[in-house]
Amino acid sequence: MKLWAVMGIAICAIGWSGGAGAQNAKLCEKPVQMEGFKTCADVAKAKAEGAFTLYSTDPEQGQVKLLAAFNKLFPEIKTSYVRLQAGALYAKVLSERQAKSYLVDVIQISDMGMILDFQRKGGFRQYVSPEMQFFPKEAKSQPEGYWTWGSVIMAGIAYNPNNVPAADAPKTWEDLLDPKWKDAINVKVSNSGLQHGVWYMLKPILGMDYFKKFGEQKPRAFDSYVQQYGRLVDGQDKIIMGAQYSGYIEFKAKGAPLAFVFPETGVPAVPETYGIVDQAPHPYAAELFMDWFLSPVGQKALAEALLLHSPRSDVPPPGGADTVPLSKMKLLSPADWNDFEKDRPSFAKEWNRIVGTGR
Amino acid sequence: MADASTGILRPRINGQALTTLAVLLIVGFLVLLPMVFLIEESLNVGDPMAFPPVEFGLGNYVAIFQEDLKTVWNTVIIAVMATVMAILIGFTLAWILTRTNVPGRDKLERLMELPYYMTPLVGALAWAVIAGPKSGFINQLWKAIGGTGDIADIYTHFGIAWVMALFEGTVAFVMISASMKSMDPALEESARVMGASKLRTTLTVTLPLVMPGVLGAMLFVFAEMLGSFAAALVLGIPGRIYVITTAIWDSTLSYPPDYGRASAMGLALFAVMFGMLTFYRRVIARGSFATISGKAFRPRPMEMGRLAWVLFSVCALYVALAVVFPIAALLMTSLQRFATVILSQAQWTLANYQLALSLGPVRTALGNSLMLGFGVASVGVPMMAVLVWIIYRSQLKGRGGIEYLVMFPQAVPRLVFGLALLWAWLNIPIGIYGTLWLLALAYFTVMLPLGVRTLAGVVLQIDKSLEECARVCGASWAYQMRTVTLPLLKPGLLAAWLLIFMACVRELGASAFLMGPNAKVIAPSIVSAFATSGTELTAAMALIQTFTVIVALVILFRVARGMTKELA
Repeated sequence: MKLWAVMGIAICAIGWSGGAGAQNAKLCEKPVQMEGFKTCADVAKAKAEGAFTLYSTDPEQGQVKLLAAFNKLFPEIKTSYVRLQAGALYAKVLSERQAKSYLVDVIQISDMGMILDFQRKGGFRQYVSPEMQFFPKEAKSQPEGYWTWGSVIMAGIAYNPNNVPAADAPKTWEDLLDPKWKDAINVKVSNSGLQHGVWYMLKPILGMDYFKKFGEQKPRAFDSYVQQYGRLVDGQDKIIMGAQYSGYIEFKAKGAPLAFVFPETGVPAVPETYGIVDQAPHPYAAELFMDWFLSPVGQKALAEALLLHSPRSDVPPPGGADTVPLSKMKLLSPADWNDFEKDRPSFAKEWNRIVGTGR
Repeated sequence: MADASTGILRPRINGQALTTLAVLLIVGFLVLLPMVFLIEESLNVGDPMAFPPVEFGLGNYVAIFQEDLKTVWNTVIIAVMATVMAILIGFTLAWILTRTNVPGRDKLERLMELPYYMTPLVGALAWAVIAGPKSGFINQLWKAIGGTGDIADIYTHFGIAWVMALFEGTVAFVMISASMKSMDPALEESARVMGASKLRTTLTVTLPLVMPGVLGAMLFVFAEMLGSFAAALVLGIPGRIYVITTAIWDSTLSYPPDYGRASAMGLALFAVMFGMLTFYRRVIARGSFATISGKAFRPRPMEMGRLAWVLFSVCALYVALAVVFPIAALLMTSLQRFATVILSQAQWTLANYQLALSLGPVRTALGNSLMLGFGVASVGVPMMAVLVWIIYRSQLKGRGGIEYLVMFPQAVPRLVFGLALLWAWLNIPIGIYGTLWLLALAYFTVMLPLGVRTLAGVVLQIDKSLEECARVCGASWAYQMRTVTLPLLKPGLLAAWLLIFMACVRELGASAFLMGPNAKVIAPSIVSAFATSGTELTAAMALIQTFTVIVALVILFRVARGMTKELA
């Protein structure tokens, strides 16, 4: 199992170096150069459509900022969004499609299982953006153009230095099993794609026994990193296992007393994925948005709005100079997303038992 | 021609029959359609994403007994505790404010209603700051004066019930008040003249007479508590206490979503609600509660002497616990860069208000919520009044069944009913999905129980002889409703309007699934901010919402000054 994990990591590491192997099969012949990006979309028609709708799992104020940046370039295109958690958002889209009610142009979901399922169901419309060639191979659908990773989220360990001196703080994932952290750790709920990533990538490396012992620490589970970091700041918990790095950057920038640990073993990482929806009501505006969003200008706007790392190697990391770039992280990312998806039910069952949801 | 001119033989259009039929058809359709989808889904044991389901069975119901008993137990215990507290608080406050000469009655009454103006999340967030373990203000204060350990922990069964009772139990106060306002004080005065003490008068005369209102409120509040979500979300999860609504929330957010399980859990609460409603019907069938008779009366409060100030203190304590402390806690949180209760590390800013007000969609959402509240309450309340009359006054066969029918949306947790509404309306090809029209229809459907319960308490108090008198004098049914029944119901109608307006503005469960990209409302935006953007922004948004709703209500009441007097 350990060998398999190492192989997985190696495959990912090649991918993370970025750039190679883009398939240009269906790229348009003459992409148009816009302000900071190239597009194959018919810009005049996109403006004539006059509207664009994004369904996303990201925080509202972040989405508002991101869409405002797009709207600033194209004021003729009015933007709107729906924000729900991944499971609810995906179920809403599927229900709408079954009823032939098409409201969404581009969908973002933070769970690769749902993305692959949506692709199988014919939910995405293929559109090869001129910007996709700058993304690593594993960050794009096969064949290219159905979905693309818009950002990468990674999980480490966080603590409050006011309550935990640096010398006592955990340095490795194994350190979290120390009895002194009993009743003092928080995690995310089993619905979280990132928490599933932590489980899926660490299980083969640390062994199933690790999570059995971790359950004895009686961790508390929360929906969002906001609640997790909030409890750390207030001293209600001491450690976050699987702490979302973008959350740390956000709280740290506000002056919260926090420290982040990148364990040597590596940090599990999962993507946020974007794609144009089949039967989108504003197809040209959707293409224009994807081209802008996947370009360095769109990715920078995303980094500013949501403090997330871009999969593109030519886009600087979010936050200040202290932020660790992707290239300096040891990322642990599933090599086989289909297997990751299949693992979900057993993870959910085990994780619910560990965090004591009583189900 | 002569016959036609005199109208003797002209067939008269039966207004009562037509109105009854129209109301029943609309209500039946609105309530039953989602229920059909819900029942179908609860029996789905195959692919949860298959619509319609292809494999049917009872597996989802069996699973409740096998795996969810602890969750069910938590739900019932918390709902019972919260209902008892809410009714005790509601009855006491309603009695003080409607039957005694407590100083500052009008202002106090407005303050009492404040918790109901706020989004359900507000109370839970505020009390987490006040009484959270380790770092809550009460515990910090306790440690500052030399105490050890925690003396307050809101993340417990009692803590959740306490917050529910304080904030979601306000409805009990409004419903019981409506009954008490319509009561002829001559009955109480007779008791006093015969030598009964004030306490005895209250217990032996006032309480039995307002029993339909109290029982109706109890029934309604218990259902509300079973389906309560916000307090369980904010306070239950940190304490590892899961109730049915948080389990349902998990089921609908996970992938693949466990809709079958969520639907079965929701429908399982039906049995409990049916039992409650049957009990209620038996009680009111046994007695006569008519206190509004042909005799004129003016509500006259009891003179309480010095005791009035004690009663004032009771009201003031409630206002402090449910309004002043929570708003102060939220105000403090909303002014921080990151929410913390440890003031030494707090950093102050106005940025959260700036951010909340700059969120264009949030501004639209607030406007939409106010518009929906006004529209649904104004159109819905008269329809509900007719419905209540059909249930309690008409001779229509099966009218008891209608009462059960209108309680359906309350008997199922709102989150589950929201899903059922989504499935139902997605499958009707009339193109209102994703618009405010669908939200308006959904709100009317889910507000039916609230409106009917509020109005029922008052209708039962109207002496039938007044209506019979009108009919004997030759009035048609429509004329009798317009000139006798509805004017007598006016205080009840206004209370129902206010309740429904506020319930629409803070509606969460149905809205979460039915909002479209261009049809947003405020409560889900606030919950979404709580989940993703932090307590500080959530607090700012919640306070902006509360402030806007109060301003809107003040304007409304100024516009309809006459109505204000009725309510006061």
